[in-house]
Amino acid sequence: MSDTSQQYSKAELLYVSLSDRTVTRKPIPKDLIREFLGGRGLGVKLLYDNLAPGIDPLSPDNWIIFAVGPSTSTSVPTGGRFVVITKSPATGTIFDSHAGGYFGNQLRRAGIAAVIVTGASDSPVYLWINDDQVEIRDASKVWGMNTGVTTDELIKATDDRAQVACIGPAGENMINLAAIITDKHRAAGRGGVGAVMGSKKLKAIVAKGTKSPGVEEPEKLRLAVERARRLIKKNGVTDKSLPVYGTPVLVSVVNELGMLPTHNFQEGTFNDADGVSGEKLLERLARKNYSCYGCPIGCGRMSHAGGKDVGGPEFESIWSLGPQCGINDLEWIAIANDKCNLLGIDTISVGSTIGCAMELVQRGKLEHSLKFGDTTGILELIEDIAYVRGLGVHLGKGSKIFAEHYGAPELAMQVKGLEIPAYDPRGVQGHALGYATSNRGGCHLRSYLIGPEVMGSPVLVDRDTTQGKADLVILYQNLSAAMDSMVVCRFTNFAWSVDDYADIVAAGTGLPIDGKELLKIGSRIWNLERLFNIREGFTKSDDSLPPRFSTPLSEGASRNRVAQIDVMLPEYYSLRGWDKDGNPTPKLLKELNIPIER
Amino acid sequence: MPLTVEELAQTIDHTVLKPETTRSKVKQLCEEAMDYNFAAVCINAVHVEYAVELLKNSSVKVCCVIGFPLGATLSSVKAMETREVVALGAHEADMVMNIGALRDGNFDLVKSDVEAVVAASGDAHVKVILETGLLTDDQMIKACLLCKDAGADFVKTSTGFGPMGATPHDVKIMRETVGKEMGVKAAGGIRTFKEALRLIDAGANRIGTSSGIGIIEDYRWAQYSDSWMQPDKPCWTCPSRMANIAKQPKDVYLWYKQRCLTCPDKEHNVFTD
Repeated sequence: MSDTSQQYSKAELLYVSLSDRTVTRKPIPKDLIREFLGGRGLGVKLLYDNLAPGIDPLSPDNWIIFAVGPSTSTSVPTGGRFVVITKSPATGTIFDSHAGGYFGNQLRRAGIAAVIVTGASDSPVYLWINDDQVEIRDASKVWGMNTGVTTDELIKATDDRAQVACIGPAGENMINLAAIITDKHRAAGRGGVGAVMGSKKLKAIVAKGTKSPGVEEPEKLRLAVERARRLIKKNGVTDKSLPVYGTPVLVSVVNELGMLPTHNFQEGTFNDADGVSGEKLLERLARKNYSCYGCPIGCGRMSHAGGKDVGGPEFESIWSLGPQCGINDLEWIAIANDKCNLLGIDTISVGSTIGCAMELVQRGKLEHSLKFGDTTGILELIEDIAYVRGLGVHLGKGSKIFAEHYGAPELAMQVKGLEIPAYDPRGVQGHALGYATSNRGGCHLRSYLIGPEVMGSPVLVDRDTTQGKADLVILYQNLSAAMDSMVVCRFTNFAWSVDDYADIVAAGTGLPIDGKELLKIGSRIWNLERLFNIREGFTKSDDSLPPRFSTPLSEGASRNRVAQIDVMLPEYYSLRGWDKDGNPTPKLLKELNIPIER
Repeated sequence: MPLTVEELAQTIDHTVLKPETTRSKVKQLCEEAMDYNFAAVCINAVHVEYAVELLKNSSVKVCCVIGFPLGATLSSVKAMETREVVALGAHEADMVMNIGALRDGNFDLVKSDVEAVVAASGDAHVKVILETGLLTDDQMIKACLLCKDAGADFVKTSTGFGPMGATPHDVKIMRETVGKEMGVKAAGGIRTFKEALRLIDAGANRIGTSSGIGIIEDYRWAQYSDSWMQPDKPCWTCPSRMANIAKQPKDVYLWYKQRCLTCPDKEHNVFTD
């Protein structure tokens, strides 16, 4: 039977050792909530304290953590997400990858703050969390199956109210582009987190909970949530653009600014952008909206393509499988996106890596039939990537290793081994700095300066200037780290300010957290991630962009610009409280209460 | 932060002037104005009675537009409209100036038009909308002086339906012309706190906007970084950039564009973004 109103502080850490098949429960240390909240912060702290430097991410020594936060499964809008934290096989950095859907809700309702998976199994298994009962079960029947079949079969084998987070063949085969899929089309996509599951022979986690997650100060939270919902309804992005068009609304916006990467970032304007736009998706393929648990925005799409209903495609997937590869066939993109979901592949990285291969062919560095704008054979190639066959053997390692293999590392559009998403950094200086300094590599979500630099949220700032951008990048990085630890969706950021997040988390945890304290928590998480990466051998030289972005685009509204990382980086380090080589200083670490390693 | 969030809110006329406005929208507008302690709600005459009832126990004023949006009706009609809405409880009347008369050089008519509304306004404040996008700087200065002579309380930049919104350039000239005794209301196209603060810095003491909530909510970010207020490209806030031959008289359009030729920031005016 369900407990009543279980606060986050009473949720448990579930340690699952796959090597010896044991399950242990521990309470969350109080100071961990105060200093790291939960979600991403919790995972980062546990990994920093417990992973030995230099371990192979695909070895049993790595941990993979599935975490929720104090906002999960409460009345806080978008509180159904979960985050996966591990050492990434794609980047070698610490890594957090997030997904929406409904899995996070079930995990939290089972009374769990985080599932910490260690070791590795000899044979395929899945974890069945049914409230307080936890079983490590044989997964041999679903091993080899795609994520759709796996989800259906595991629900059949457990409970029709359960939610599944699983890997497909890509994860089983431990490719660097492997994602974790939940609800069949929501992905913790980036960084090869699916490969870590595969390395542990962990096919899935299935969760069902019946507890009622509570908060420390219900009336305070009620007021904060009432206000938060009102702000979402009043905001043009969260109440209009995203519900009507979904994330693909960005295709036209970004293309008009000449920063929609095309042909592996050789151009910033895609001539056929209209054909792959959010408007066209609405007219041609979209069938209905999809909302994650507790989300009043509903940015997800369900489309009809290739004769069946499919999830998405989202903006980043449309870009990577479309303009990045010169492809203008929206229905084909939706089909390819679905294939990636079924195989459990990160669409951003797979599209970007295929685009890289197309340029290698264009430049005579690779002999293959791949050609910009031509879809022929790409669906089969995506399968080859998942099953590690043919050219897929190399493509599955990601663009960095792939381009190095063919003697042209400069053609990989990545940072720290992670493919850069759908905004050409030459057109947005702050966002460019965000890419370069991201702790998980080429990522648009660590500091989404597209908000202020492109969308005017909360206010439009000059996308071309470098002045003040280091300051804004740090603000967004710290806030994002805190949001990821609450755990709430990034899109709330269009409607809520720092104080709103602080009010919500303070009510949820009962801790005296205001806006400044929330940002300090974010800074603590960011710096601990930085220390983890430094411990792994990352240096200042890794805070950089591919050389392509030092050469201007010749056409479009972002022409004649380069990404001025060298101008902004010293200021960024200084404002961060780091030394000139990008190392957090002892003074800063003391301020953040991070023990100094000797 | 040059102003607190509360201080900025107290400069805002929370506005809805669209023809399709429903009573529920007016109700929402009034409730928001009370929640945020805005200076006033700015509405069309048909909604005044309802808004007065909704706001009767608050400090939020009811501001009604007069002769809106063209200003091309008879002075007697503007006066009658003013008398009616003041009788219904409006505290402020935002009238549109006779713009054609000003461009004709018929300054007596412009002045008497304003005087007629002032005379009909009783204790209510009168703001005169100049529609600056239809005027050159000299015409704007002359209009300000006429409004001052006619006893108006405020001059106001734009209707929001004309060819341009409020710009710091215009507000600065208006403030310099009318001095401290009169109010200057910036209105039209103001959607962000950055724009609002620039207009206040230029001399505006009232901001007319339909984006009041967004402006205030977004302004809460200002305490966490000074970088929001970094200067933009100079052309972004210049009325010459907004000039549009399809919406403006040819002479006014060319007057704006010719200013670009002698602008000290001319070298920035290369691309349109």
